[in-house]
Amino acid sequence: MNRYEIRIVGYGGQGIITLSKMIAYASGICEELLVTQTEAYGAQARGGRSWAEVVVDLDRESKQIDYPKALKPYDLLIILSDAATKEVKKEVIKKEENIGLLIWDSSTILGKFRAASKMKNLGLPIQKMAFEKFGDIVYGNAILFGIFTIVTKIFSEESAIETIKQFVPSSTLEKNMEAFKFGKQKAEEFLTQLKEGMS
Amino acid sequence: MNNGNGKRFLKPGKYLMMGNVAMAEGALSSGLKFFGGYPITPSTEVIEHLAKRLPEVGGCCMQMEDELASINAVMGASLVGAKAMTATSGPGLSLMTETISMAANIEIPFVFCDVQRCGPGTGFVTVPHHNDVGLTRFAGNGEFEVIAFAPMSCQELFDLTITAFNYAETYRCPIFILSDAYLGHIHEVVNIPPKEEILKRVIDRTIPEDTKGAKFTYEDITTHKLMIPKPYIVGTEFCPPLIIHLPHNQDGVLMPEENSLRFMKIMIDKIRDNIDKISLTEEYKMDDAEIIIISYGLPVRASYRAVDLARKKGIKVGIFRLITVWPFPKDKVKKVVAGAKAVIVPEMNYTGVIAEQVERVTDLNIPVIKVPKVATLHHPDDILKAIEEVAK
Repeated sequence: MNRYEIRIVGYGGQGIITLSKMIAYASGICEELLVTQTEAYGAQARGGRSWAEVVVDLDRESKQIDYPKALKPYDLLIILSDAATKEVKKEVIKKEENIGLLIWDSSTILGKFRAASKMKNLGLPIQKMAFEKFGDIVYGNAILFGIFTIVTKIFSEESAIETIKQFVPSSTLEKNMEAFKFGKQKAEEFLTQLKEGMS
Repeated sequence: MNNGNGKRFLKPGKYLMMGNVAMAEGALSSGLKFFGGYPITPSTEVIEHLAKRLPEVGGCCMQMEDELASINAVMGASLVGAKAMTATSGPGLSLMTETISMAANIEIPFVFCDVQRCGPGTGFVTVPHHNDVGLTRFAGNGEFEVIAFAPMSCQELFDLTITAFNYAETYRCPIFILSDAYLGHIHEVVNIPPKEEILKRVIDRTIPEDTKGAKFTYEDITTHKLMIPKPYIVGTEFCPPLIIHLPHNQDGVLMPEENSLRFMKIMIDKIRDNIDKISLTEEYKMDDAEIIIISYGLPVRASYRAVDLARKKGIKVGIFRLITVWPFPKDKVKKVVAGAKAVIVPEMNYTGVIAEQVERVTDLNIPVIKVPKVATLHHPDDILKAIEEVAK
């Protein structure tokens, strides 16, 4: 058992649950890894504070994911709203080298987010970029999915593309693919910076 | 009418499925033809999914005006030979108990899915609470036995629903599936086997070839052994002349008072005598275990992790999992707990319904420790703490 713990928090309507299902689909169906997705259920999924979690078992020999919810410290935490920043503390993210990452949206988090600077983090104005580049904030999800694909490397790019095809309506497929590529590019830039910073 | 048999089975392969949907697909694979229900959080996805899928297989999904009508419709459908089920949550179950009691008495097979939510009363509708475990055991007036399953993953929701339908056909009684608000909404990969494999597992509703010699009785006249005939079907030749919800004989004729005890005995012993066949259990790291965890449903998954962590610390602990919660396998549990240092029972309720059953068969000098949790899942650390406490 080699659990990869992912938690995404924001407000209802941002596509948090869709993003978590895309991660689960790409890992579980395309890569045939064990995966468990859980989500906020009830009124908060339609507005208010919402969350989703995915546990991926990177060990192909495992038979079953034991505890279905993501366990702290997380491997990856995605924070998309002001209210959600409250749960970010040093100890909730893994500290070992190369693992443990916080991704946050600097266009939806308007307040001060001091905690982020204390850990490996990638802050990007995701919704703003989605709106300016692709005309709608919904493409923020594909940007995030692109970032996720590159920084975690849990599933291949082919698996990610297959997943996007499964999840988005065909009329928006092209734009989603562009947003996905854009996200990938941003993540690659981040990883390069990180490498340079280390050397 | 579309017989839709081609659509009964999903294409074999892996699917990312919600728990409630996995259960509904398990029912369709078993040959479900009728669903009667009234939507209630957190079970609503079951009726939503079946409203779409049942017409595709030539079946019928009916949203009734309330829970009472729902369970009565299910009973009616089953009487005329359709595999039938309903899904609800605690408040719905409490309304349906009157009919469940009657169905048990007339021996009508159906599957009852209870996606439990926090109670009592209306409660918190979107959070889990295994607080109907006791109610399912005593779901209604009068004496009868039921069978209840406690799955813990989406794959099991699919597989155990098939087993539940088979048990309904075999033991002619209501079968419960104890899900909860959390399990019903988890998404996991479900492996759907080829239809040939599923069909091998499914017990169909058929009538005996020779209906003239058919028996509705339990007693084999020559050997005097208890046997369970197939469920009868109203409108066919395989049906007693009278169907009555009072103690009755093989022809459905009311039994005199002095024979009522015999009737009760048959109704209850058909389950109790077969407990070894009915009861499904699983063991994890039990070989050398001194501390025994007994659990069912989702807390088992937190227990796996707690046991692995405790084992790393050199504590000899194992899990005895109840896949069927009712009938409670008292002989198996008695054997398992004999000589243990302590027994830990993590349950998603405060009273410890199963812990009390465990206490019943455990020596007084062996502590039975409840680890209650309500409205949320056990964290593995909750269970680990209990293990470390008794290992001191």
